[in-house]
Amino acid sequence: MRTLKKDWPLHVMVWPGVIFTLIYAYGPMAGLVMAFQEFEPLAGFFKSKFIGWDNFSYVFHLPDFGQVLWNTIIIAVFKMVLFLLVPLILALMLNEVTRRWFSRFVQSAIFLPFFLSWTVLGGIIIEIFSLNGPVNGILSSLGLEPIMFMLNNGWFRSIIIGTDVWKGMGYNMIIMLAAITGIHATLYEAAEVDGAGRWKQMLHITLPGIAPIVILLSVLGLGGILNAGFEQILIMYNPTVYEGADVIDTFVYRLGIFSQQFGPAAAIGLFKSGISLALVSVTYYAAYKYNNYRIF
Amino acid sequence: MNIAKIGKWALPLSLAVTAVTACAGKDNDSASSSPAASSPAASSSSSSPAASPSAEAQDPFGKYPETVTVSEVIGYNPPEDPRTPKGLTPDKNAYLKDLKDMMNIDVKFKWMVPSSQYEQKFSLALASGDLPDILELDQKNYEKLKNQNMLADLTEAYAQYASPDLKKYMESDGGFAMKTFSSDGKQLAIPAFEDPFLSTQILWIRKDWLDTLQLQPPTTMEELDKVADAFVNQDPDQNGQKDTYGVALQKTLFFWGFDLRGFFNGFGAYPSVGDAQSAWIKGADGKLVPGLIQPEMKEGLTMLQSWYKRGILNKEFALKDENKVVEDLVAGKVGISYGEWWYPNWPLNSSVDKDPKANWIAIQIPGLDGPGKSLVPKIRSGKVFAVSKNMKHPEAAIKMLNFYIEKGYKKYYDPKSAEKGYVYNWFNPRIYNPAEIETIYTEVNKALEANQTEITLEDQNYSTVQGRFEATKDYFAKDTSKASNGVNWGQYFSRVAKDGGWGVTRQIKEKQAFVNNEFYGLPTATVVSKGSQLDKLMQESFTKIIMGAPVDEFDKFVASWKSLGGDQIIQEVNDWYSKEAVK
Repeated sequence: MRTLKKDWPLHVMVWPGVIFTLIYAYGPMAGLVMAFQEFEPLAGFFKSKFIGWDNFSYVFHLPDFGQVLWNTIIIAVFKMVLFLLVPLILALMLNEVTRRWFSRFVQSAIFLPFFLSWTVLGGIIIEIFSLNGPVNGILSSLGLEPIMFMLNNGWFRSIIIGTDVWKGMGYNMIIMLAAITGIHATLYEAAEVDGAGRWKQMLHITLPGIAPIVILLSVLGLGGILNAGFEQILIMYNPTVYEGADVIDTFVYRLGIFSQQFGPAAAIGLFKSGISLALVSVTYYAAYKYNNYRIF
Repeated sequence: MNIAKIGKWALPLSLAVTAVTACAGKDNDSASSSPAASSPAASSSSSSPAASPSAEAQDPFGKYPETVTVSEVIGYNPPEDPRTPKGLTPDKNAYLKDLKDMMNIDVKFKWMVPSSQYEQKFSLALASGDLPDILELDQKNYEKLKNQNMLADLTEAYAQYASPDLKKYMESDGGFAMKTFSSDGKQLAIPAFEDPFLSTQILWIRKDWLDTLQLQPPTTMEELDKVADAFVNQDPDQNGQKDTYGVALQKTLFFWGFDLRGFFNGFGAYPSVGDAQSAWIKGADGKLVPGLIQPEMKEGLTMLQSWYKRGILNKEFALKDENKVVEDLVAGKVGISYGEWWYPNWPLNSSVDKDPKANWIAIQIPGLDGPGKSLVPKIRSGKVFAVSKNMKHPEAAIKMLNFYIEKGYKKYYDPKSAEKGYVYNWFNPRIYNPAEIETIYTEVNKALEANQTEITLEDQNYSTVQGRFEATKDYFAKDTSKASNGVNWGQYFSRVAKDGGWGVTRQIKEKQAFVNNEFYGLPTATVVSKGSQLDKLMQESFTKIIMGAPVDEFDKFVASWKSLGGDQIIQEVNDWYSKEAVK
């Protein structure tokens, strides 16, 4: 009670978030019941028939499921690793830039695409990599054969991963830069006195200094292991690259929205969440055990 | 990161939220449908003052004493007529004002989206149970809502309120389509059906390019191959650059246009009537076989593969939707397209406006030896109109159908209707004369031959026929004061010209140069549940073969298609055929 009196502004600030989470994250979980039903929308949850695990076995026996799961993992793992590495390198490099205006400018330029919608960007990227696009223009001016990037399974996957990392890297970079700013200046001064150059300073002060944040980001990122980026792929893919780019989310989308098989679609969703929960738990435990680091 | 976390719950979330609103939505619907007349008897028209038992005919155009509000949803394209005021939206359609004046019916749109988003949006609305009063359904959704017992029985409303013209249309096929959409003696939907020959595939080709290269219009696939090759390699537009290709094709291989239906028909293969599900032809043993997996398909795929390699098909066709292909057609990048009778009306009219030299002609599709036979469905009914069970005034839907047909009479005719904001295809429910195009063809030609200044027709077809007649006269007189030369030409060459879209289609019909799609039932259970996976399989396999995968992949496709549900579908379709088909 005493704390409530003292800290009431904090409580006021936290409640909207809590309510939001309850309504939009916990409330809908009740909908998972349809994973075990032969769900008829107009009959609703209460009148639809329960069919146990049938939806799960139906989904796992779909011929495409293996391929789709594999695509999801490949794309998601690459995205996850690059989403840590690229921003980390960028943050370290920007930290070494001494001209402030330049560093600010680069930060903004890198962060900017984060705010663009895939709906817009998808079309632009398709054009950039098309046969008459600038990329093939450069290739042909170098005397190379043009490449149909968007119609080739290998290239398409790389483009999906590359463009998503390019678009989103600014976000993690800002977090890491903030963490670097939080490192006490006295540490650097002391290192300088001890004769450490900029390289050694980075290696022994900056990196260990932001390690907790990097671990935090990777734990959070692992929860999304089966999120390969729904919106982006949906906008950019085509039948020729289904083989390499059809992921769980696009699969669920077609199953749920176009075939209106809500039960099986919810079953895959639940399956995905189960995997994510397991992975987050393992990473969290590992981070705690080996690094003595905890979030909660 | 948090966003990503929410994302994984996205589907269960959206489904759950919508399912919750479903319960709430139902009450709202019934409440909103009519603040007025609570007793149906009170709403009957003023013309029958004597209190009558329900079976008696009512005034089809009667005005409700109190406003009846009807909810609808719409997926819409920009108006076809360039003279329509800019920025007009379907809820401002001038038809709605007239409807209100005539019948005191107020149309409210629950939502309006571009038609490309309609299917998705409607599926979501269906999942949430948030249905409008009047529903425009395809056969699959009709089947779903029927099974969930969501559709109102229209038997009585139709019997009492349908205007004579509407009844005439519905009886024009012997009541066949109406019967398809009734169940246990209940009329659950009013089908909008048209002359099935409107689906006939013809070949549209640039005559000016043929002339430049001194080639003849192709009659066989071999000749078509040569012509298409010349369109790629011999610079048909004479601009000194190799920037043209042969045959228009978009990424959805079977579609309502710029697709491969007519191409395969030329090989005696009948894969589709324009959607992703197979068409059905009679096999040697009298049973129905799916055209999509017949061996003739393989020959066609072989030629497509060679066309792709030689640049006759655009290298990036798999990335092009119909709008991108239309851009190519209008820009004069491509000289051949398979399709139906209406191409001059859109998009070839823009091609003619852009390049006055462009001279598109229609010919019967080339075949293996001599012209080929197109697939024609037994019924052409893309959509049906149904009414939600919760609607208080189901007869309002019938009256609105009457209204649209009634607007065709001469007394309502207005040559400036586009400027005044009338957009016919934004008005629903809307049923055309099933023989509309044929009526236009015969009536306008009759008037032309007799050198008339006006159409003599007095019935509900007056407006459509008179409109085309005026466009035709403007086209011949080179009068572009009302519409551009391309627009006038499009109206004329699609519907009126003897060698135009409908003219050539009629000749094909007379020559019996067609094959029927024998299945015209509703989608079977397995098509509803597994259709989209089979569709994906087909798109993926065919696209890859065209782009260079071994043609023998087709055999693998056939085996997978059958094992993934195709065998069941064959069974279901033949069950239907032996029981219900009119042979």
